[in-house]
Amino acid sequence: MSYQCPVCEKIWPDTMELARHVFGVGDQTHKDWVNSKGVNFIELLLIQTMEPGNKGYKTLAEILERDAKKVEES
Amino acid sequence: MKKHTYTVINTPIHNIDGIAKITGRAEYTFDITLPRMLHGKILRSPYPHGEIIHIDTSKAERLKGVKAVLTGKDTLGRKQGIWRRFKELCDEEILARDKVRYIGEPVATVAAVDEDTAEEALDLIEVEYNALPGAFEPLEAIKEGAPQLHEHAERNINVTRHIEWGDVDEGFKKADYVREDWFRCSSQAHVCMETHCAVADYTPEGKLTVYTSTQSHYYIKVLLAEILGLRENDVRVISRYTGGGFGSKFELDSAQFCCSILSMKLCQPVKIVLTREEEFSATKRRTPMFYYIRSGVKKDGAFLAKEARVFTEGGAYTAMGATALYLTGFFQSFPYVWPSYRYDGYRVYTNTAPTSAMRGFGAPQATFCAETQIDLIADELGIDPIDIRRKNAMYPGYEVPGQATIQSCGLGQCLDKIDDWIKSRGKLPPNRGIGVSAYGFMSGGIFNWFDTPYAFSSAVLQINIDGKVDLFVGSQDMGQGSNTTMAMICAEELGVKVEDIRLHMGDTETCPVDLGAWGSRETLMQGNAVKMAASKAKQQILEFATAKLAPNIVYDLDIKDGWIHLIARPERGLSFYDVVKEAIRGKDGQPIIARGHYTPHRKGMISPAYSFGVQAIEADVNPDTGKITLKNCVTAHDCGQVINPLGVEGQLEGAIAMAAGYGFTEDLPMDEGKILNPNLVDYMLLRATEMPETKVMEVETYEPEGPFGAKEAGEGLTNPTAGALGNAVFHATGISIKNLPITPEKVLNALKEKKNK
Amino acid sequence: MKKKLVHLTVNEEYHELYISPRKLLVEILRDELDLTGTKRGCSTGSCGACTILLDGAAVKSCSVLAVQVDGAKVTTVEGLADGAGLTPLQLSFLDHGAFQCGFCTSGMLMSATAFLNEDPVSEDIKKGIQGNICRCTGYNSILRAIRAVAEGKYEDEGR
Ligand code: FES
Ligand code: FES
Ligand SMILES: [Zn+2]
Repeated sequence: MSYQCPVCEKIWPDTMELARHVFGVGDQTHKDWVNSKGVNFIELLLIQTMEPGNKGYKTLAEILERDAKKVEES
Repeated sequence: MKKHTYTVINTPIHNIDGIAKITGRAEYTFDITLPRMLHGKILRSPYPHGEIIHIDTSKAERLKGVKAVLTGKDTLGRKQGIWRRFKELCDEEILARDKVRYIGEPVATVAAVDEDTAEEALDLIEVEYNALPGAFEPLEAIKEGAPQLHEHAERNINVTRHIEWGDVDEGFKKADYVREDWFRCSSQAHVCMETHCAVADYTPEGKLTVYTSTQSHYYIKVLLAEILGLRENDVRVISRYTGGGFGSKFELDSAQFCCSILSMKLCQPVKIVLTREEEFSATKRRTPMFYYIRSGVKKDGAFLAKEARVFTEGGAYTAMGATALYLTGFFQSFPYVWPSYRYDGYRVYTNTAPTSAMRGFGAPQATFCAETQIDLIADELGIDPIDIRRKNAMYPGYEVPGQATIQSCGLGQCLDKIDDWIKSRGKLPPNRGIGVSAYGFMSGGIFNWFDTPYAFSSAVLQINIDGKVDLFVGSQDMGQGSNTTMAMICAEELGVKVEDIRLHMGDTETCPVDLGAWGSRETLMQGNAVKMAASKAKQQILEFATAKLAPNIVYDLDIKDGWIHLIARPERGLSFYDVVKEAIRGKDGQPIIARGHYTPHRKGMISPAYSFGVQAIEADVNPDTGKITLKNCVTAHDCGQVINPLGVEGQLEGAIAMAAGYGFTEDLPMDEGKILNPNLVDYMLLRATEMPETKVMEVETYEPEGPFGAKEAGEGLTNPTAGALGNAVFHATGISIKNLPITPEKVLNALKEKKNK
Repeated sequence: MKKKLVHLTVNEEYHELYISPRKLLVEILRDELDLTGTKRGCSTGSCGACTILLDGAAVKSCSVLAVQVDGAKVTTVEGLADGAGLTPLQLSFLDHGAFQCGFCTSGMLMSATAFLNEDPVSEDIKKGIQGNICRCTGYNSILRAIRAVAEGKYEDEGR
């Protein structure tokens, strides 16, 4: 099973990778999507950056686990 | 590469300011006394964040000997900043009117007959504050509901930066090995031996003269005129000798501003010298950075993709922090070929002393993180640290997509030289390691954030009847030796001796505009302007000489060592000095005058040229105390054509001392915005006894964009040392410290942790 | 505070000065005698920029009151050489590029002069300038300059 980016529809093998992608692209539409989920994009990025442990990615991955479209491997 | 023979360039020449400096004759701003001069002091905020409710200056004014007490209410209330192109980044009043945002922010200033009286008066000024909660770390300051420093900056976000090329997502997909690391880079104080100081002299005809210790008299003139409501050229800034700069002296500072307003009020000269404590706690400093870096590589060590995120502690104002944020992002990828790269940087306002430019300008932080991670990757993959760097090194002609074109690049040769040196060390004793770091830097920035309408560098030259050359430059010598460099470039191009040059600098009234000594720009930019002026003057002289010698039309002439001659037949010629005399007669008695200028056009996003190098540090780590002892520091360095060998050596060794300090001894710990070690006892910079043996190996390349093929040799040298030091510790002990400075305590803790694993 | 009479011989010139007893020696040298070659980088005795020779020994002039040294012989950077002359150490500083901004240089020269007078053969030149901070040079060029003089390379020089 893979996950699809809710913004640009790119496919990723797991939600951590997808979270990395969403943070990585980081353009306004990806940002807006994250912010619409009741968290703050920059705050998450900051948590991710300032302390080891991938906390920012994990938080976003949980959201994506819930809200991103799951697709079958082709 | 063409081999050149020079008569002046790359010869060991005495610094042209040397005699003045070794006999105590050099007059620094700190030494200036004018008739009727008063002394000023500055009252500073004890709160990191607060509203100013009321300031009562009456008691202070009544003190005998006090001439004036001024507050923000006595100013035009204009905000200023050096990023003039962007209004909202001009966010600092210098003398706060309604709100203070860091401990040490100026709130009032006093002029009195002497310093003691002025100091006493400060105690009599009553300021009523409404203290506000502060935000001290980026992580706190960015949270919703955190105290907001500036009305315009939601969540205290000051500036953001994005750099990207290649397909990063794809790069990571292809990677065999991906590594993530977190780093914390600390702050650092510049510690110029001459603290910030200025003498302002305003006269009733409306002219303001300011003597000051600065890296750019032009910037100070323009910024002062703007904030004081004066016409630009009614302000004259003079700075003959500057006792160190390192990035701390090209923005308008509190000494310059406060003594100016006091002098304008009193029409009497006023001098302000910051104390060492003020210098530590209330001037700008190196930007602390929190970095997250993720890199993807092939099994064989080939770089594929890199992603970097940084949050920087901005302090209370923008200052030069916007530039540091951009440069750290660019130099995070340097000096390597990364097929894909993505960077996001955020600068966050905090209630701490503003962070800004300091030698290396964001690159030492980036280089520390990048080079530490590269060694960890190499270790994981079982690749030699030199080999992984060689595999991915930039090369001449490489284009950083959308950012820069690398012309000259001697990185490969530098790696070879360092490799040989490491091998020559043989087997090391226990607890000793050698770490390396590659680096590079720009030779002057090209982005016009200051919005100057002038050429970036200009020079004017006049040749007098006795052959003496008056060279007027706008560049500023703060110790790095640009005066000597410019005289050498001029002498070489004109074919005369350095003693024939009389250099004029450090005065906005007589010197043409140059943006100043920062971003390693003088040798390339001011150097090109000087070379152009000299070349134009030479052309005029050669026209006269050709008329006189009447050689066969196919011959051309040159000047070397004061001898004008046919290139093909050097013995046929004339004395430069004789020809000058006649040429001036031939020009109806006018001296020979020429101008030169330089502005980079279409040179990418960053700089016209880049320096490169590799440094190796050999260090001992004491496993019982955690103490690091530097043994050797060897650097292979490509700064293009060396102009002044003594100067380059000095820059290199000085950079090592400062950058090693950054690596393992210097820090500015704070408690709620208060710097805890604002003195030279508790702030530990390197002393002579702690310096390692240093050795420099020049790799000469020819940079087509630089004068005689030269490029920067000033700041880049600050970049590698912390990383090389950290890697030396890693190879000595197996621990990697990602949190600067690498103190004995951190080393011990990491050793303990490793043991427990 | 009542002023006091102080006698000082500075660079071989004798002075009688009425000064406030609170004044530091560095202040008297710079402000009263116009000898601004002596600098001040901290005023807490930590940087060495204010180093002078007091009866031949290197002393930080920000750490003594002028009244404490009544009757003493002081040498400042201005008194190192006569007229157009330079001492071997000064020449060596030029040859070795042992200064950049120059703000620490006077103090360095004075510490090094005292060191060379006392113990010219010591291996430990570093200790001789340990009390002097230089932010520009990284010290090694200064050490080379001092070592060259200690090794007698400038014996016949100095004007
Ligand atoms: S001024 Fe005397 S030691 Fe610093
Ligand atoms: S030369 Fe600048 S502090 Fe020493
Ligand atoms: Zn997407």
